[in-house]
Amino acid sequence: MADLASRITKPDEAPAAAPEAAPAPAPASEEPKAPENETSIEESQSNLVKNEYEVEIKLSDLQNDTESPLYSVSSFEELGLPEAVNRGLLAINFKKPSKVQEKCLPLMLSDPPRNMIAQSQSGTGKTAAFVLTVLSRIDLSKPHQPQALLLAPSRELARQIQTVIQTIGQFCENLIVEAAIPGAISRETGVRGSVVVGTPGTVMDLCKRRQFDTSQLKVLVIDEADNMLDQQGLGDQCVRVKSLLPKTIQILLFSATFPDKVLRFAERFAPNANQMKLKHKELTVKGISQMFMDCPTEKDKYDILCKLYGLMTIGSSVIFVRTRETANEIQKRMEADGHKVSALHGAYEGQSRDVLLDEFRSGRSKVLITTNVLARGIDVSSVSMVINYDIPMKGPGEREPDAETYLHRIGRTGRFGRVGVSISFVHDRRSYEALSQIAQFYGIDLIQLDPNDLDDTERKVQEVIKSSRAQAEYVPSATDSAV
Amino acid sequence: MAGSSPARPNGNQWASPSSRSVISDILAGDRNSEARHRLLIEAARREHERVREEAERVYQEHLWRQEQERLIEERKKEEDRIRQEEQLAAERRKINALKAKKVEIPPVLPDPEPVKAPPPAPKPASTPTPSQPLATQLNGSSLFGKTPDTQAASASAAPKGFGAFGQTSTSAQPATAAPKQTTPPIAASSSPAVNNLLGNSTQVNGVTAPATVAKPQAPAPAQQGPDRLTVIHKNLKLLRKSMLDQAKANPALKSRMGDMRREIRKCVGQLTGGGAGVNRARNRVQSQLVDPNTFLVEPRAPVQGPTNNDPQIPSLFIYLLNVFAKATISQFINEGGPRPETTDPVGVCIAAIFSDPAFAWRGASLIDILFAKFRVVCPVLWGYRGSEKTEQGRARIGWWKENGRWVTEQAHFDRMTGLGAGFAAISLRNFGSSKKQNPYPPRHYWAAMAKIINTPSAEISNTQCVVLKAMIQNYEEKFIHAYGTAALAALRTALVEFPARAPVKSSAVNSLQVVYDLLRKSTGLVLG
Repeated sequence: MADLASRITKPDEAPAAAPEAAPAPAPASEEPKAPENETSIEESQSNLVKNEYEVEIKLSDLQNDTESPLYSVSSFEELGLPEAVNRGLLAINFKKPSKVQEKCLPLMLSDPPRNMIAQSQSGTGKTAAFVLTVLSRIDLSKPHQPQALLLAPSRELARQIQTVIQTIGQFCENLIVEAAIPGAISRETGVRGSVVVGTPGTVMDLCKRRQFDTSQLKVLVIDEADNMLDQQGLGDQCVRVKSLLPKTIQILLFSATFPDKVLRFAERFAPNANQMKLKHKELTVKGISQMFMDCPTEKDKYDILCKLYGLMTIGSSVIFVRTRETANEIQKRMEADGHKVSALHGAYEGQSRDVLLDEFRSGRSKVLITTNVLARGIDVSSVSMVINYDIPMKGPGEREPDAETYLHRIGRTGRFGRVGVSISFVHDRRSYEALSQIAQFYGIDLIQLDPNDLDDTERKVQEVIKSSRAQAEYVPSATDSAV
Repeated sequence: MAGSSPARPNGNQWASPSSRSVISDILAGDRNSEARHRLLIEAARREHERVREEAERVYQEHLWRQEQERLIEERKKEEDRIRQEEQLAAERRKINALKAKKVEIPPVLPDPEPVKAPPPAPKPASTPTPSQPLATQLNGSSLFGKTPDTQAASASAAPKGFGAFGQTSTSAQPATAAPKQTTPPIAASSSPAVNNLLGNSTQVNGVTAPATVAKPQAPAPAQQGPDRLTVIHKNLKLLRKSMLDQAKANPALKSRMGDMRREIRKCVGQLTGGGAGVNRARNRVQSQLVDPNTFLVEPRAPVQGPTNNDPQIPSLFIYLLNVFAKATISQFINEGGPRPETTDPVGVCIAAIFSDPAFAWRGASLIDILFAKFRVVCPVLWGYRGSEKTEQGRARIGWWKENGRWVTEQAHFDRMTGLGAGFAAISLRNFGSSKKQNPYPPRHYWAAMAKIINTPSAEISNTQCVVLKAMIQNYEEKFIHAYGTAALAALRTALVEFPARAPVKSSAVNSLQVVYDLLRKSTGLVLG
């Protein structure tokens, strides 16, 4: 079909891409439809008038490709969500459900409720999927009775999920969403919201103090579930929290990655769950162009980093580093180069972390330098570049490349089918080999960039972005288009 | 006389009533004696002399002062002369330098030359005269004429707004154009383009006059703009190719050009809510000269005053403006799509750059370069429309193609969102407190909105709704600030009536209504 269309319409394709075809291509190609003021030009056009018919085009191949993670046939209306929720979705530009939403939502919303374990690539709408479930399940006539609990591994992620619920639920009256994170819940009143988002530790504390009535909870959501159930401390806490909840509760586990051993544990944690899984070769997001920069030495990395910003159009960017010292050094250099930078790492606590991240979210600073603290889940849709300044490593002595973290890191860009760029810096044999192993694991072709000829690199980057844009898919975001 | 004479140094020369008792004076025996009489005469003489001397001294002083002033004046004149001569010398030197440079033109100039010829030729034939009445027709009638049953209330308010543009354009056009007709000293290429040049010369000369003079002109260029804009876009592509060729021959230019390009892109990317860092692109590298008219909707004649007045300016300068325009549009698409609010600082920067006299030519901005690109990537703002289900329709509304395939629906809507918001960010800038001239005043915003809203019901497309939403959301306040009550009527038409008459209630259409919901919720604004 695409071939046929392009053959028939050849003379007319030019106007958008290459306007030399005609000074006024638009009005001429369709007499009846052109705005009145333009029809006058028609007589002078000769080359285009022959096309009096217009050719119907097929829906983009991607949207009809049932394998695409964003393939969908239904609309949000068909899911039978409350009307106020639908309006909330429109307000933040959600137009069609993504695949994970379209496949999982009917299962999660069905009665009697069943557990769910869902895996989907980064930036494909997992958060919205469980938020919609939560908003459909709660009874708004009991605004102060906790009915849904959502757990996330970090304070930042918990706050982000809270914002998403509030945004999608902005037209739901009496919706109270509370964040169970240190310093957010009043010690006097305890939990007074129908939806609670928090980190496991704080939720445990609230339960111990009997400030959190769990008796009528209907839904338990665990985001970044592999991370939550795998980590020693967090995993234990999750199990303990679960033991305090009603036995009939619906459990939903979400993540972009589910290593096999964690999945087995997850199946015990959420028995009889519906599952949606991916193979690890399917995990990478096609819209993210993955490249690497071959730096002569470790020291050259700073200068090369600064030069990257002229090579392509960048909205916001995230730079992942291994240590706080590197983070601070990069911050110094980039600020000298005119960038507005936030550096967020373990050295900051609670509220000051919130402030730094909010600055980045709102666009007051456009470069975020961070350690692995923020590798997961954080959703800022305008992030168009992720830099692995250091290749992520794990295990004793940091000997092993950390493929999961790599995936989550680069997943900070290319959100919702948009185009993103990830550039990993290698400077010696060890870092090069680590990166190659990661690339092999996911079956990706990393493109090498040369820091010496910038004109050439610029051209290469543009080409790579162009080709990956052709593969990008899309689903909207709830986090930062909040009004 | 005594009152007007200068004060006496001491009082005993004249019989002062204060020094002597008046009574004793009168009653003294010798008051009529000759001796006393003489004494009095003598005193009077001396006083007279003193006054005279004083007067002479003052007169002398005055003369000196005059002389001094004259000398200062003379010195100033001399200084002025020297300064002027210096300027002249600099000018001459520049001209000499230019002449020296001109030598290298012939080889590549043929590149832009053939382009320059065609644009004026087809234009006068089709656009200027017929389009103007249509402009009023479009503005004045179609919105309300085609939907007479929708809202009578707003019809009473809004036509004023539309009429303000539509009517004045036709009435003002001949009036302002007529006097200029006698003096068309424009040395531009073709004479058939007189009509255009007229419009242009008034615009250029009207630059110094208050905005009201320029305002009525709006619809004329706006109507003939689009076609010319695509030509400019084409010319800019040729320019870019020519620059690449030049760069190959000139390694200094190549490295500087690349660095500047990347620097500009980086700076545009760095723009945040805070103050805008203005890019300073300096021409220290030699490049060939081009005629800026190639890149303008309407050719310009030289005007008095501004710094950039030469018929040709370095191509690198245009190239860098072109890079800047490209970078901003790319920023709109890439960053503004996901987050429309980020377009605002970019809009501020665009306004700052194009209103800067250093980046202007012949007294007006070169912002046409930017809008040539804008016209190509977002044609619905210029009134183009088409079906999203056909090849031609998509091409017409600016649905992008990449590697021969249409970009995905969501990618397209993302682009349109960023561009709609970006358009508002440029065209709704308030120059009220600025001494500079607004390079793209709000009338363009109004015109673009009118063209979308006036779409016949059957032809309303999702693309239009998305663009309309993006250009309204977050910019309601600026719009109302610029147009007052008329803006409210326009908002009502855009957010209530327009989506109501859309044949298919797609999510794009519904989201326009949600904009109104949000507006009502957050500000209490009711568009009754």
